[in-house]
Amino acid sequence: MTEYGHGSFEPKIIAFVCNWCTYAGADLAGTSRMEYKPNVRIIKLPCTGRIDPLFIIKAFEKGADGVLISGCHPGDCHYTTGNYHARRRWIAFKSLLEFTGIDMKRLHFSWVSASEAIKWVDLVNNITDEVKKLGPFVEYKGLNE
Amino acid sequence: MENTLRQKAKELLEKGEVKVVIGYGWNKQKTHTTPVFITKPGDAGKLVFNPLCVNNLSLYLTKKFSDIKALGKPAIVAKGCDIKTIAVLISESQIKREDIVIIGMTCNGVVYKQELWKGELKPEIMPTKCHNCDVRNPLADFVIGEKIDFKAPDEPTGMVFDKIKGLDKSSNTERWDFWFEHFSRCTKCYACRQICPLCYCERCIAEKNMPQWIETSAHQRGNIAWNLKRAMDLAGRCTFCGECERACPANIPLNLVNQKLALVVKDAFGHKAGYDEKVHPPMIVFNMEDEEDFIK
Amino acid sequence: MSNKLLKKENLGKLIDALTSEGSIFVAPKMDAQQVVYAPVINAEEIVFDYIVPVNSFKKFLFPQTEPIAEFNINKEGVVLKGIEIEPKEIIIFGSRPCDAICCSSLRSVFNWDFKDEFYNRREDKAIVITVACTKADDSCFCTTVNLTPDSPNGSDILLRETTDGDYAVETITDKGKKFVERFANIFSLNSQVPSHKPIADVKPIAGIDVKKVKEYLKDTQHYENPLWAELARKCIGCGACTFACPTCHCFDIVDEGSAYQGKRIKNWDACQFEFFTLHTSGHNPRDTQYKRWRNRFMCKFNFYPNKFSSRGCVGCGRCIRVCPVRLDITEVMEKVSNQP
Repeated sequence: MTEYGHGSFEPKIIAFVCNWCTYAGADLAGTSRMEYKPNVRIIKLPCTGRIDPLFIIKAFEKGADGVLISGCHPGDCHYTTGNYHARRRWIAFKSLLEFTGIDMKRLHFSWVSASEAIKWVDLVNNITDEVKKLGPFVEYKGLNE
Repeated sequence: MENTLRQKAKELLEKGEVKVVIGYGWNKQKTHTTPVFITKPGDAGKLVFNPLCVNNLSLYLTKKFSDIKALGKPAIVAKGCDIKTIAVLISESQIKREDIVIIGMTCNGVVYKQELWKGELKPEIMPTKCHNCDVRNPLADFVIGEKIDFKAPDEPTGMVFDKIKGLDKSSNTERWDFWFEHFSRCTKCYACRQICPLCYCERCIAEKNMPQWIETSAHQRGNIAWNLKRAMDLAGRCTFCGECERACPANIPLNLVNQKLALVVKDAFGHKAGYDEKVHPPMIVFNMEDEEDFIK
Repeated sequence: MSNKLLKKENLGKLIDALTSEGSIFVAPKMDAQQVVYAPVINAEEIVFDYIVPVNSFKKFLFPQTEPIAEFNINKEGVVLKGIEIEPKEIIIFGSRPCDAICCSSLRSVFNWDFKDEFYNRREDKAIVITVACTKADDSCFCTTVNLTPDSPNGSDILLRETTDGDYAVETITDKGKKFVERFANIFSLNSQVPSHKPIADVKPIAGIDVKKVKEYLKDTQHYENPLWAELARKCIGCGACTFACPTCHCFDIVDEGSAYQGKRIKNWDACQFEFFTLHTSGHNPRDTQYKRWRNRFMCKFNFYPNKFSSRGCVGCGRCIRVCPVRLDITEVMEKVSNQP
């Protein structure tokens, strides 16, 4: 039974997932009636190679407490090389965000394939717990205008 | 050195090999240097070269300066750091090597605060980039000036890199507070983008408003998005000419963020921008062996 | 000439008295290794040795970014609410005569075809205390545009530095007079005539005749003179001059928010930006940078004075100091003055 907080903080986690692997994996978790924490909001993209670092910044701007990015395993990309390009970008962008002072426990990356429903469920549950412990992303929410 | 430069420029213009020489000249009061565009051989006397020549003139070779392009084939007076930027522009197909003539100048360093240069180049008045310069003797079509004997330190040193090390050691909260304070001063004037030769996008993402990815207002949220996006777009391309930080009217330490990414790119992908114009910029290629220990 | 004196040591008391009433005290202060106008809370923060701060104080009357309306969409439809500002009193201390005069220019444009309450309310609550210049640098050229380093125009109170390090007070407007009366205990009465420090000697630049510049610009034939391309070719379109200029006032209106709620915001804009005159058809009447710079020059010396009968350029020299390529407006003025 998932406990949905009564007055306690529930983090909002945005997940940018690729259509062919992770989305299918999450779908499999759904059709298999697996229960997991409801804090994640999925945004489906054709490939992780589509992800521009701005998406992550925008997610934090709009109120996300955590961001998860997930795609096909290396070698399995539907578009052959999309995830390799994405991986490069993440290495650079992660260091940039870390240098700016954003806690890396709020930003997660993973490879989840279409059959790894259990991995998806565990991933979401673990990340939700981790971000919940960190609390709301006050630094970004506190940015005044 | 200046006389050789003026001679060369005059020669190139007289022979018709180039139609314009892009170089440095004095301002009215002879206190600052300013870019000049020499089209007549008789004007070649306006060219100067000294440690106050801080501008990165390769900016004028980019496509947005269509009126300069219309003048004809350019010769450009360039220091080693400027030539690195030209190398990146060539690797990104923005200019063809045969379309320009590079007049390389051997350089012992520049000074940003003009009043500090009293004729002697002391290390403490030079910016960090000069302390780590390994292109004091540039590769060019013509090299003017005597060969300089200077070995750059193996590990990058100087104010910028010391500060980066300091920030790396501090906590997340301290880093956020540091950057928050600096980015709050941003006025969204876009001087950093305009002066950077590598920011040549015909339509910058900041100008797109359907949807508005980067808010144009100068509030903290919009400023962080803009500065992070620009740093990310320069990853692996920035050659540390330092112009962005010099141009910023709010004195935001942009070199810190750009050089941090340069260090990350060097460590992770083994790439240093500006040394080989035939190598692709690192962010458009990939390696099967890129590290992925951070990916679950 | 009033006989009041403001002792430097009493500045702290003045700041305390004002900030305790909720007013904002703006003065030149050191921030990120440069002198800028910024709110201060005690007298130790104030810098006294400066020519002009890097920015102008227009940001306190005409903010860099400010919301002007709010909207949200609910079951009933769209709810649009204009924002009414109630600005606090703001005292700008340490302004220079070239800065103070910008108020009259800004007031003309913000009351031209529409009374901009966002500007007017702020200006009504602002008190400008100018300190006459005792030194200048080679970028200053106020005398070339018919101003002086001790001009009272635009200020509420004019202070002149005395050789003792204090300020001799001269009230210019009613607002200034009331201010001095309000703090009569801080503005002391002076029995002897204070000896003032000499006012900066800013020589007008020899080759420039502002009248000739204006005449030249009136003739539309001169618009296409290749002179403009030569002079402004090096401009990179960064907008730093526009943002530092005390009289530049262009703004852009943007909407920010989500599908269901948001704000309409007024931001600073610059004619130096490429998309300033970009039409939706893709055509841009000012498609190269030198054309945009030509526009700035014409705006300062032709459009603005003709349309609003007030100053476009005050001769503060900020644009020259902040320009990354050192494009000097006085050089252009000189070349234009000497055109046949």
